[in-house]
Amino acid sequence: MEFGFSAAEQTFAEDVRRFLRDNPLDRFPLDGMDAGYGSGAHSRAFMRALAERGWISMCWPEAYGGGARPMFFKLVLFEELALAGAPFGPLAGSWQTADAIIEYGSERLRREVLPAVARGEATFWQGYSEPDAGSDLLALKTEARRDGDHYVIRGHKIWSSHAGIATHGLVFTRTSREARRSRGFSMFVVPNETPGMDIRPIRSLTGGVYHYEVFLDDVRVPAELRLGPEGEGFQALLNGLDSDRFWGRFYKAPALERVLRRLVDHANTTGAGRDAVLRRRLAAMAAEIAALRLLFLRAACLLRDGAPITYETAVAKVYADETGQKLARLGMDLLGPWAPLRAGSREARLDGEISHAYLTSLGHTIAGGTAEVLRTTVAVRGLGLPAEPRTA
Amino acid sequence: MDFRPSPAQQLLVSTARDFLRKHCPPELVQRVALDARGVDDALWRRMAELGWQGLLVPAAFGGSDGSLLDVILLTEEIGRAVAPGPFVPSAVVATAALLAAGTADQKKRLLPAMAAGERIVGVALASAGNSCELDARGRLNGRALFVEAAHVADALVVVARAGGDTALLLVPTDRRGIARWPLETIGPEKLFEVAFDGVAIGADDRLDPAAARREALAAGALARTAEMVGAAQRVLELAVEHAKTRVQGGRPIGGHQAIQHACADLVRDVDASRGLLYAAAWKASEGAPAAAEVAMAKAYASEACLTVARRAHQIFGAIGYCEEHPLHLLHKRIHAASLDCGDAALHLEDVAQAIGLA
Repeated sequence: MEFGFSAAEQTFAEDVRRFLRDNPLDRFPLDGMDAGYGSGAHSRAFMRALAERGWISMCWPEAYGGGARPMFFKLVLFEELALAGAPFGPLAGSWQTADAIIEYGSERLRREVLPAVARGEATFWQGYSEPDAGSDLLALKTEARRDGDHYVIRGHKIWSSHAGIATHGLVFTRTSREARRSRGFSMFVVPNETPGMDIRPIRSLTGGVYHYEVFLDDVRVPAELRLGPEGEGFQALLNGLDSDRFWGRFYKAPALERVLRRLVDHANTTGAGRDAVLRRRLAAMAAEIAALRLLFLRAACLLRDGAPITYETAVAKVYADETGQKLARLGMDLLGPWAPLRAGSREARLDGEISHAYLTSLGHTIAGGTAEVLRTTVAVRGLGLPAEPRTA
Repeated sequence: MDFRPSPAQQLLVSTARDFLRKHCPPELVQRVALDARGVDDALWRRMAELGWQGLLVPAAFGGSDGSLLDVILLTEEIGRAVAPGPFVPSAVVATAALLAAGTADQKKRLLPAMAAGERIVGVALASAGNSCELDARGRLNGRALFVEAAHVADALVVVARAGGDTALLLVPTDRRGIARWPLETIGPEKLFEVAFDGVAIGADDRLDPAAARREALAAGALARTAEMVGAAQRVLELAVEHAKTRVQGGRPIGGHQAIQHACADLVRDVDASRGLLYAAAWKASEGAPAAAEVAMAKAYASEACLTVARRAHQIFGAIGYCEEHPLHLLHKRIHAASLDCGDAALHLEDVAQAIGLA
């Protein structure tokens, strides 16, 4: 057993901390809202700054311009950025998409998209959900019809994060009708400026825009933009969702730790920390956040070692989201009458961060697999309990 | 970063699991639980032959020179089997106290015999109910509550007030003026009130420094956490097995989401508790300051593992309510372990201070 980072990983953590000291976060303009997952707001400028240091592509193979560093460097970068509250919103999606392109992308995707990712310019939205295909994703209706060396995509995607400010969509489509439910799907990497796409913002209960819906009206894309073999998009998607649960939540624990530190400071300032109940709740949160971090690090070791993962990322994702909701709730209780004040309001405490976290956290147990779907995954895939019969 | 025990540790764990399956089956656990003495001497002797009671003891004192992390992994198996006997008080807490504060003579006199399973040393270190006072003439008066296995202990490590200070004492139980009264509990652990009435304490009976109490309790807190994690893991496995095989309405009850989601939460609680336990035990074994990690692990597991046991009762339905079913013994073991060596409230206060709450 070994629960510390290696010397090389610690040196890299130092590098990241130095970068953060030398580049105060208020220098980076924000382009899109922070959805509370722990990766901060969407900032193209910050992504470019990471790219300048080679950190976006640092773990790719050298053949693709990467630095061939071990996977754990990404975890170190995530932890340091999240502890600092940096705006690296699109980073996890960029990494996942690049990994998929490296694994089964066409030459064209590798040639055109990877360098743009490495420069911090290409960022991605997920075109998975549809109005009638949420938890039952395979009920999707968006179709991609083959037409010579092109496909023509027609359909309606929704809940796509930052679709309006990203550069490409990962559009999950049906390419054929097959007897087996999981066959006949294909994924495409579609540039946002492709004709026929209509990307419309959805204002959320926070008052800001994070999600979009996307209407695809006979969008013609070259066949080379298909990610993986035709009809086998489902497996790619499953891998993607598994990795989404991990990469899209790994930074939650350090991000919650940062919020907890702010709450502790606040409790000390106001004297609320002397209240026995609040004191225990804050202390219990510290233990829960530490446990959360370890659940993710355990999953990280399995991913690194290529060991089978059945339930570990699903458990970690649910726990991340529920722990985040709990901390936000505790923060609201701690702030009392000041809790609902927004960022920018007179008298707002902690920069209005807590009320925003409270609202955004409501969506976390829904996005990327609901807590219910994931608990079923843990039970069926992890524990071997019998799956409920499907009725349709 | 590596969550896997070393090959030697894996061997320790698999040997322990096989041994306990054979020599500490549920029938034995049930029988000893109902027995007034609550110790199985043959099992205790066999454990000693495997070197378990001496795992924390250096080879120079007849032990097998294991690390605290080794002891934690072994204790997890003991918790899993709900093995009876004062392993944690004697082989972990008292042993740690002796190692940290015993004189060469005390160590030589006791540790080899403890490692061999021939001597048992209990601990009276809890603050709750402790009124022990050592006066200027070296007489110990007062009482200690919740002392496990005092009836079979050859000596006790006792914390007492001494003037304005705290004294840590090593008191033979056959000394004049000591009385041991059993407390009737809901679980199989044998707890006692120990009364001291003018017990003569000599210079040889002191453990120094008294601050070793904290160290010993930290080792004990980890061991109790390991018991909880081991027992909760067993509860999880039994509950899942039941959910797969219990058929109602023509389907296994585990095919219903209500039961599936309950089982998923058991996994989360056990895995999260174990992560904190291993990280804390590893850090302590490396000799790094680990007080905050130990406190987090104990506080977290106390809540999470008890929740596992309680939720499992609902999954098992009526059968889990029976005395002959193993669930209640696992449940009671978790509950008892959650209280010993600092309950959740005490450890949460340590965590509160560690995270900077004024």
